[in-house]
Amino acid sequence: MAAITTTAGRRAIPWGWIFGLGIPALVLARIYYLVNVVEVRDYAFFIGAMVQSLQLGSLYALIALGYTMVYGIIRLINFAHGEVFMVGAFISYFLFSGAPFALPWALLWSAVLAWGVAFILNLWRGSMTHPTVIAGGLVAFAALTFLLSTFQVNWVAALLLSMLFTGVLGVVIDRVAYRPLRGAPRISLLITAIAVSFLLQNTGLIVFTRNQTPFRPETDWTAFLQFDVLGGTVYTSRLMFLIPILTAVLVTALTLFVTRTRLGKAMRASAQDAETAQMMGINVNRVIATTFLLGSMLAAAGGFLWGLNFGSLNQPAVMGILPGIKAFAAAVIGGIGSLPGAVIGGLLLGFLENFMTALFPRQGDFPGLTEFKDTFAFALLIVVLLVRPSGIVGEDLSEKV
Amino acid sequence: MSDSRTRLRNVMLTLGVGAIVAVLLALVEGNGGAKLNDTLALFAIWGIAALSLNLVNGTTGILSLGHHGFMLIGGYVTSLLIVPADVRERIASQARSDMTPFTLSLSVENAFNAVGLQALTTPETLWVRFLVALLVGGFVAMIFGLIVGIPSLRLKGDYLAIVTFGFGEIIRLSASTSLFSPFTNGALGFAGVPNDFGKSIWWTFAILGLTLFVMTKIKFSSFGRALQGIREDEIAAEAMGVNLARSKVLAFAISAFFAGIAGGLWVSYLSAARLDFFLFFLTFFFLVAISVGGTGSYTGVLMGVAVVVFVQQYGDPLEKTYGLPVWFGVIGSLILIAAAGGWLYRKTRRMRPVLHPLVVVLGLIGLGTLLFAIFGQNSPALDGTFQAFGMRRILLAVLLIVIMAFRPEGIMSRAEFSWAWALRERKDQPSDEERAQDAWLSNPDLNRGSATSSEDPLPASLTAEDAPNAVPFLERGTKPDPDEPRYGEGRDWQPEQDDEEEGR
Amino acid sequence: MSMLSVRNLNKSFGGLQATTNLSFDVEPGEIVSVIGPNGAGKTTLFNLITGVYTPDSGSIELEGRSLVGMRPNQVVDAGIARTFQNLRLFTNLSVLDNVLIPQHHQLKVPWWQAVLRTPSYRKAEAHMHDVAMEKLAFFGPRLMSFRLHQPVYVLSYANRRRTEMARAMATGAKMLLLDEPSAGMNPKETAEITQIIRRMRDEGGYTILLVEHKMNLVGEISDRVVVLDYGQKIAEGSYKDVVNDEKVLEAYLGKRADDDASEEVEL
Repeated sequence: MAAITTTAGRRAIPWGWIFGLGIPALVLARIYYLVNVVEVRDYAFFIGAMVQSLQLGSLYALIALGYTMVYGIIRLINFAHGEVFMVGAFISYFLFSGAPFALPWALLWSAVLAWGVAFILNLWRGSMTHPTVIAGGLVAFAALTFLLSTFQVNWVAALLLSMLFTGVLGVVIDRVAYRPLRGAPRISLLITAIAVSFLLQNTGLIVFTRNQTPFRPETDWTAFLQFDVLGGTVYTSRLMFLIPILTAVLVTALTLFVTRTRLGKAMRASAQDAETAQMMGINVNRVIATTFLLGSMLAAAGGFLWGLNFGSLNQPAVMGILPGIKAFAAAVIGGIGSLPGAVIGGLLLGFLENFMTALFPRQGDFPGLTEFKDTFAFALLIVVLLVRPSGIVGEDLSEKV
Repeated sequence: MSDSRTRLRNVMLTLGVGAIVAVLLALVEGNGGAKLNDTLALFAIWGIAALSLNLVNGTTGILSLGHHGFMLIGGYVTSLLIVPADVRERIASQARSDMTPFTLSLSVENAFNAVGLQALTTPETLWVRFLVALLVGGFVAMIFGLIVGIPSLRLKGDYLAIVTFGFGEIIRLSASTSLFSPFTNGALGFAGVPNDFGKSIWWTFAILGLTLFVMTKIKFSSFGRALQGIREDEIAAEAMGVNLARSKVLAFAISAFFAGIAGGLWVSYLSAARLDFFLFFLTFFFLVAISVGGTGSYTGVLMGVAVVVFVQQYGDPLEKTYGLPVWFGVIGSLILIAAAGGWLYRKTRRMRPVLHPLVVVLGLIGLGTLLFAIFGQNSPALDGTFQAFGMRRILLAVLLIVIMAFRPEGIMSRAEFSWAWALRERKDQPSDEERAQDAWLSNPDLNRGSATSSEDPLPASLTAEDAPNAVPFLERGTKPDPDEPRYGEGRDWQPEQDDEEEGR
Repeated sequence: MSMLSVRNLNKSFGGLQATTNLSFDVEPGEIVSVIGPNGAGKTTLFNLITGVYTPDSGSIELEGRSLVGMRPNQVVDAGIARTFQNLRLFTNLSVLDNVLIPQHHQLKVPWWQAVLRTPSYRKAEAHMHDVAMEKLAFFGPRLMSFRLHQPVYVLSYANRRRTEMARAMATGAKMLLLDEPSAGMNPKETAEITQIIRRMRDEGGYTILLVEHKMNLVGEISDRVVVLDYGQKIAEGSYKDVVNDEKVLEAYLGKRADDDASEEVEL
């Protein structure tokens, strides 16, 4: 009687197999051609490109997670996420560079950070006025004031504190700019997000710097590394271990949080249907705030690692926008709203971008594709949105009539 | 008043206002000084661009973020076609230039010479050549508008917005690549574009008037109604026979054409074409103008443009160098104002406690900063100066955030300025017949019929006496539907509108 | 030749078979009702006919012309217009605009003539206005005069339904698909809408296919009734025959308990 049948119907074209095997095959053929036929590259060069792709892809994945989580819950393309990433990078820069802070500055920083600690405890305890939350906030305030005014912050502390600070920033942005627009048309929300992005860019120009900034914390992780493989030498740095491993740790922690904790379950419920989730007693506003907190923290980690990877930070007005849009493209490629999708999409974009330039180098009159690198990300975004807006693992949401 | 007489009156009034504006412009041109002149020209140029964006954004309801790309195309094509011969020679001698002899020979002057219109190549007839260049720029931008319009056939809402943004950025990024640098002169761009037009308030205002005319005529035509139908409900519009593909692409193309014209005037205003004149901030400014003025209202958009141009032109004191005490004072005052606003907000909304800890903390911080700024002026911490570049943009961004939070439909909403409105002409006074009908409809006795009754439910004659307990007529038309949710009111989570925003 | 003929229509969503081998005809000038329990595939049928969905197999023909693969606006051009179950009016536009928009697809004057307001455009516009008034007049004075320029969002629910029907008529279609035209109306208004549907056929000359849950409306105006259940046609015929059909009763009310006494009815 049930109308549900499992007939296969028409045989679908196996695009997954065609792309999954066809593209790597084409890439390998092209590498063989470049190495053995025209002899402009050696195999080690492509191993190096693989390593670079993995690093870049991890960074995109970290940023893309923020996009995908926010989109999953409030259906907002958080245009300002790239700027949050930029702020994260600059905050960590200001934390690790320079001497211990003067007392007023230490107090200011600690106040913001302690509020962040209290907010996180509040997510756990359920109220800002819970004794644990207040005590935790005060302890954090005292400890951080002492820490910041006495010691030079090392890179690990800078990373963690920057994540905390940026997380707070994400929550504040949601509270001030997005929350008044709950229930408004999505386009209004997107316009607000663009405005926030513009605001952060220009505030960054005033508060941080107007110039390209070198980003060199005292760490051994940036040391150069070279090894011989396949008759050539790969030049890289120890970051080839740090960035993917740190990304994996953060992504695992996020996954555990989302799947194992009550708040994470509430988050997934809200992503399914926020209205019903609220009727089931979930405080959706708190869930959204948590989403912004986590997404911004990951973006800050991404920002710090971005600085390490490239050795410098671009000026604030342009630093966030391009990685942001690319990470959004990654999130869409993977399937927006899906956490594994964001990671897959980020890694894929990292590979595509690197190999596009590596596979088509300057050859005679052909100028190479390097100058189209940024254009490529936009073009890829457009093509993916047009051809398969649900991405690799996402589901299609088309309108009901 | 009869229909034709009303129309005649409206035309006369419009012409009269036009004449007054012309006189004022003439006065400004004579005595207003260069700054005022530039401001007005800028208002007109950005006005053209914002109006064209509003055709897509407000009337059709597609958030397009790629307008700076269309302006870039119009601007570069115009520059390429109009740049004088001496500038071309200089470009040809530059080693870093990618321009070829062929692309350097592309100009309206050469074209006129080739077809034997030497009369139009004199310095006195520069305006003819400029107009031709402007139109060609507009048409090239229109072709790109057609291309950018195509994704709108498959995508909707925020995804489409991102795609248009992507197109705008692709246009800007690829303009400097080796593929297009023979036409755009790469990163060097063009200098020496004649500025007799972009800085002339006559030319710019004439084109602005033309744009406004075309846009309003489109809005109130059958095509414009179809576009508004798409804005209101795309699926319903298609089910009512509106050809979505054709309408949307046409809207994009017309919009891009005027954006290209605006781009041509913009390079003329700046006397040069460079890639950093066409950054995303242009689209952002127009977005602010549209949101402030009223999405879908062309007269509202012009008000919004006035606000943006005013901030841009007269906001420069915000970006001067001031001593640190001044900055601390300003920041302290702002924090204090924010705290006071929070207190007032909580008080008027009867929220408890009125003195929320955050309000108290903010107030204390603000007061402390302010006091420090006043009494600590000699302290070494306040020894120094600071300049806040970009304050005007921050102001506009904050303005946009505030507008979206409190009045997302803008000042004018979708309404247009009209003489009937200005003269307080009321057409909604109901006639006796309408009163009677209304009374009949609200008579509860009549709503008790059985569903299967086959008698004609409408009584033969309707008079006001039929319904002694009729609802008074006064609120008619102004009464909002209680089912209709008002945007931006809820402080708690509200469900999305419905599935109309869902598809993409 | 029949007006609309549907043959062996199949459509599935994932594993869910929404319509199965559905076939029926609608003759010119008929009022045919499609009834069935919730989820029987009635609205899906409408979406298939109007081109919102593409059928997996089967044919839909309007006067011998296949509609399969057409976009919704092409279906309107071909001569079928519809209303929606949960109203899809152009909420912020006036009643008049709502009835003018569906006439846009018949406009032969290009857009730039509209900008210049050429005489031919003015003539077309005046004609469109006349058509709009004619269609709104079907509903008596309710949507005329002062309501004409009111935005739709101030209208009552019943008036919105009426506006939507007027809008469908204004497309110039020969055949109307009405999706629950009386939903949300009180008995008085339902009785009125019943008369109006009949007048739409008698005076307007429309062929009407409607989905409805209110049986007295269906019984009063239908020439024929098609009953769907789980995407399949389980009965077709006059209202009287159909409501006494065993299968139909079963679909609506479940199996009679005394048919198989040994089987417990599971709740």
